[in-house]
Amino acid sequence: MPSIIAVTDLVKRYGPLEAVRGISFEVGEGEIFGLLGPNGAGKTTTVEILEGLRRADGGSAVVAGVDVMRDPQAVKDRIGVQLQASAFPENFLAKEVIDLFALFYGRRVDAMALLAAVDLTDKAHSRQEKLSGGQRQRLSIAVAMVNEPRVLFLDEPTTGLDPQARRNLWELIRRIRARGTTVFLTTHYLDEAEILCDRVAVMDGGRIIALDAPGALVAALLARGFTKPALQQQANLEDVFLDLTGHELRED
Amino acid sequence: MVGQVTRYTLMLLRAYLRDRSALFFSVVLPLMFMLIFGALNFGAFGHVSVGVDDEAQNADSARFTTILQGVATFSIRTGAVADEKASLLKGDRDLVIVIPKDFRLAPTPAGLAATAPALTVYANAGRAQQASVGQAILAQVIDQLTFAVNRTSPIVAMRVESVNARELRYVDFLVPGILAMTIMQLGISGVAFGLVAAKQRGVLRRIMATPFPPRRFLAAQVVERLILAVVQTLILLGVAVLVFKVQVVGSLPELLAVTILGSVVFLCLGFALAGWATTENQVAPLTQIVTLPQLFLSGVFFATDAVPAVVRPLTNLLPLTFLADALREISTSGATLWDVRGAVLGLLVWSAIGFALAVRLFRFETG
Repeated sequence: MPSIIAVTDLVKRYGPLEAVRGISFEVGEGEIFGLLGPNGAGKTTTVEILEGLRRADGGSAVVAGVDVMRDPQAVKDRIGVQLQASAFPENFLAKEVIDLFALFYGRRVDAMALLAAVDLTDKAHSRQEKLSGGQRQRLSIAVAMVNEPRVLFLDEPTTGLDPQARRNLWELIRRIRARGTTVFLTTHYLDEAEILCDRVAVMDGGRIIALDAPGALVAALLARGFTKPALQQQANLEDVFLDLTGHELRED
Repeated sequence: MVGQVTRYTLMLLRAYLRDRSALFFSVVLPLMFMLIFGALNFGAFGHVSVGVDDEAQNADSARFTTILQGVATFSIRTGAVADEKASLLKGDRDLVIVIPKDFRLAPTPAGLAATAPALTVYANAGRAQQASVGQAILAQVIDQLTFAVNRTSPIVAMRVESVNARELRYVDFLVPGILAMTIMQLGISGVAFGLVAAKQRGVLRRIMATPFPPRRFLAAQVVERLILAVVQTLILLGVAVLVFKVQVVGSLPELLAVTILGSVVFLCLGFALAGWATTENQVAPLTQIVTLPQLFLSGVFFATDAVPAVVRPLTNLLPLTFLADALREISTSGATLWDVRGAVLGLLVWSAIGFALAVRLFRFETG
């Protein structure tokens, strides 16, 4: 599998604080790759360097064939991004947001087709600020796809969503990968990483402390003699919740 | 490149038209100011309010009162001296004239002027300008009556070249001030509030994650607001002319040129403030500190004569003073850009200062 992201000895400092301490990893084309870690582990800093939004202090990073250290502006054209804590301009309809970002990428797109791909056809003429949390996340994924990116970066895409909306978004992410787009996501929901990701890197204190397929990481842990004291349950509370409330999206 | 900026500008304008609160502040509020202040007719310089108590009640006193009523500058009310003096104390009269019981219009024998009936005149010291204009007109009326009754002619004729023949109403004075105010608000408050909110909510970050160059983003933001300033000026002027019968003496293109220059100044200051303030909570006090003093010291609602002489050398240098003066001179006196070159130069200097500040302070990222 050819790699589409290659990171070597990446370092980022904020004054005396070393947020990223020489990490290296590769992401294969067509993978769903997860970067996990507690808050403050350096996940967002790493992602923002790969997106060309921040300058690293050392190491190298090549994304979709672009050396982001040398040309951070060029990488923006080849990737799609969904940022944490970001928003779209107010008083724009959902459809106009797509057109606006197509303009920023210098492209002409079929806004309705992109909205249809994220199940927002009936919200095309709603103001984006009136959309629900899940709808807005879907809109932001549609926006991230306007330039037909080779890699899609999603920074904590399901934070704040209800279980139905989370499952809906996972489905969408799988569909995007099925079309050949590589997905790089950060999350601190471990169930999400386990279900969605082909491989995950666990980050803590600015370093990558583990990197493998979720199943392989679990197997390695068990091989070290780890046992859970609790009884193995056949279902959990989330299963109960979804059984009671169904998988239908609760929005509008 | 130009196409991208143009299309982005059009999208911004479309979003702006959907923003009710922005429309309120840029069009409805200034119109309300015009309506309220125009109706109050503050400091009506053109009018001298005169109370007349005719104690003579004869044909001559009636003729005299009629002549006074014929003076365009006077608005005459008649009443008993006690009532009229009370009105004067309240500030409703500038002059009160009492026509004595022995009033008559008869030739005065030479050297016996002392026998002439004497008008008693009370002047409002609080409105000295109006009172002295009123007294001067009254003296002129008496002179002309004297020549007519004594069948003589003035020994020296005076020909006055009327500089401002048109009567300047308060609303004529007010409208250019309101225009200047809205240009300032659109620039400073519009930019500072809009961009700090966009920065804080992560809108700018999201746009910076695309390959769209920041220069084009700024270009569209500036062009959008210059267009808004011109459209806003045209709407407000249109209403002023059609509804308030304001006469715009000077040339409209020159008025719009000053509008654009003033917008550039305040847009730059707005970008500087948007860089300085990092949260929406900081923007409100910062913009108030910059705009409020100018609102009261720069001759928007009142002539700058009302500003204490000590601070006037400073207030004369405020950008809003230059803008309001230039717009007012063009609108009310038909001045040309060359006539108001001092104010235009002041605005150019301010736009250079504002641009330097904006470049130094404005950032796309918070912190």
